[in-house]
Amino acid sequence: MFLHNFKYELKMVLRQREFIMWLMLFPIVLGTLFKVAFGSIYSNNDMFKSIPVAVVKTSDNIVLDEIFKGLSEGEDATLTITYTDEATAREMLFDGKVSGIIVSGDGASLQVAGKGIKQSILDEIVSRCNMYQAVIGQAIATGDMQKVQDVAKELSKEVDACRDVSPSADNPDVYVQYFYNLIAMVAICGSLTGLHVATSSQANQSELGARKNCSPTPKFKHLSAAMLGSCVAQGVSMVLCVTFLRFVLQINFGGNLFLVYVAAVLSGCLGVALGFFGGSIGRLKYEVKSAILLSCSMVLCFLSGLMMGNIKGVLAEKAPWVNRFNPVAIISDSFYCLNMYSDYRRFITKVIGMVIYTIAFVVLGVLFSRRKKYASL
Amino acid sequence: MKPTVVKIDNLVKRYGELVALDHFSLEIKEGEIFGLLGPNGSGKTTTINCLLSLLSYDKGDIEVFGKEMTPVSYDTKSKIGVIMQNVAVIEELSVRENIDYFCGLYVLDKAKRKECVDWAIKFVGLEEFENFRPKKLSGGLLRRLNIACGIAHKPKLIILDEPTVAVDPQSRNRILEGIQELNRDGATVIYTSHYMEEVEQICTRIAIMDKGRKVAEGTKDELKGMIKNSESVTIEILELPEEIREKIATLPHVYETEYDGTKLTVRCSGGRHNLIRILGVLQEAELGFGRVYSELPTLNDVFLEITGKALRDSKE
Repeated sequence: MFLHNFKYELKMVLRQREFIMWLMLFPIVLGTLFKVAFGSIYSNNDMFKSIPVAVVKTSDNIVLDEIFKGLSEGEDATLTITYTDEATAREMLFDGKVSGIIVSGDGASLQVAGKGIKQSILDEIVSRCNMYQAVIGQAIATGDMQKVQDVAKELSKEVDACRDVSPSADNPDVYVQYFYNLIAMVAICGSLTGLHVATSSQANQSELGARKNCSPTPKFKHLSAAMLGSCVAQGVSMVLCVTFLRFVLQINFGGNLFLVYVAAVLSGCLGVALGFFGGSIGRLKYEVKSAILLSCSMVLCFLSGLMMGNIKGVLAEKAPWVNRFNPVAIISDSFYCLNMYSDYRRFITKVIGMVIYTIAFVVLGVLFSRRKKYASL
Repeated sequence: MKPTVVKIDNLVKRYGELVALDHFSLEIKEGEIFGLLGPNGSGKTTTINCLLSLLSYDKGDIEVFGKEMTPVSYDTKSKIGVIMQNVAVIEELSVRENIDYFCGLYVLDKAKRKECVDWAIKFVGLEEFENFRPKKLSGGLLRRLNIACGIAHKPKLIILDEPTVAVDPQSRNRILEGIQELNRDGATVIYTSHYMEEVEQICTRIAIMDKGRKVAEGTKDELKGMIKNSESVTIEILELPEEIREKIATLPHVYETEYDGTKLTVRCSGGRHNLIRILGVLQEAELGFGRVYSELPTLNDVFLEITGKALRDSKE
């Protein structure tokens, strides 16, 4: 009987329109949109690759020469410089061979053919060059060439300041956080399947519940089979979501992909449990409960940074307890910890948090829905 | 004497101040098609929900198959089939899957279940639609699916709570014939409705409910025998002198006459040949008349006379 219920519950969930929309299609669409939106800045290599630039010297400027030398030397050179005349430089710029033209004379000026990260970095370099020119000029006057190179390196470091460094040397990309939040959102939207389990087992909430309660199958069997079916279906959607992000969109979740899958499936169960709990309390209509659950899920996603990346940081400063108790933040943090830290201590803490939430929601849901007779239907 | 299948004794159910069931008692014997007839809000569905142990009640006892009915009476529940007032099927499953799912809550053996499902599909005539999802079915077909889900496990007691609401006449007849067939196969049936024609057509015994109380109980003939009016004779007549009307009023068994200038209505209590006697008086007086018809009392007349209001027009 358990297997019979489980089989049909699985079928029901996998065929639900809401399930297909929110848990299968939505993450694919949103993930693709994220990828497109962050496309030009997402790739680590693109972002920090040496920027090709043409330098046109209108007069000799030792200071600028030394700065450019400092910026274009070494393995992690910021610029790849081609010294040329103005006409060739323009041709190169229009052909896209360089990202900008730096005209070096008494000072430095920049010509670019568009807007973008590389152009912004070049603009920053040129304005810093002009700023450091006085300092370096002094160093040259005193013959301290080492200082000139140090200042140039300092300038290079400032340009790279936005680069986050991972202690585990996995993917330190700040934008991957959006994809963690996306996975967390898919997990928490699993509350819809949990809600369905709760309402379809309660005689006072659905005709289906009434019919099930008239049968000789004990309620606990209905519930456990339905919960397991929902968790499996949710698990499938989580695995598909991670697989799509990792292998289709090529999002780098770090070295331990197996644990990413484990955390994703577990977070899916948390979502189902949340929905089951929400569905077990009160006697609102299914549609109303589903709207409330989705709204709450979206608020939790917002607070964890799905829509605004820096909100989590603001909350960490102003109200750290929000991140500590927000299940969506716990889920996305688990992926972050897995990716960013070489030891699993923080990841395990987050996983324990998810397990506690899941158990608490299931137990409370069962307590609310265990009654066998109703005062009214 | 046939054994008692359902026994409800002194049942009281309150929703706050409202008394939904007021010391309601009932006994249903094996093999009966028992009709619970009453207007909307009279307490029929509440009775069924209490009987199924879905609803808690304030007072009274309920026994089904000789055992007290509780939410954990799984053995008793396995012998009951329920067809709810509203369609309770799963949108995501096909017709066959729906029947198999609900049947599986009662019948564990897979082979036996398949047999039951095949039988149920054939019984309700959904062979052509067995792979359809419920939303593709018309209202009548959906009702039939609802019934198939409730009877596939071949229960001994079938409870149908207004199964023909919003059903086309063709499907309604099929449903009613099906219920009679299930009864012939040995099932005891409880049928609630506010359609008196249906109850009259299929029920062997009827209880009339109003405001949570049982106002009358018996076979349809017994119920009709409870009221004064046993026959209403209506004659279209354009001119009726008062002395002739008085003469008709003094005929045996006639207890009321009514004339509105075009139509004479004569109500009789019991007796035979009332129509012949009335027409004899008119012919004797050489009065011409148009159409003549005689009506036997309906359950609505029974309800009307007992409660003072019409069954059909009652509102919740």
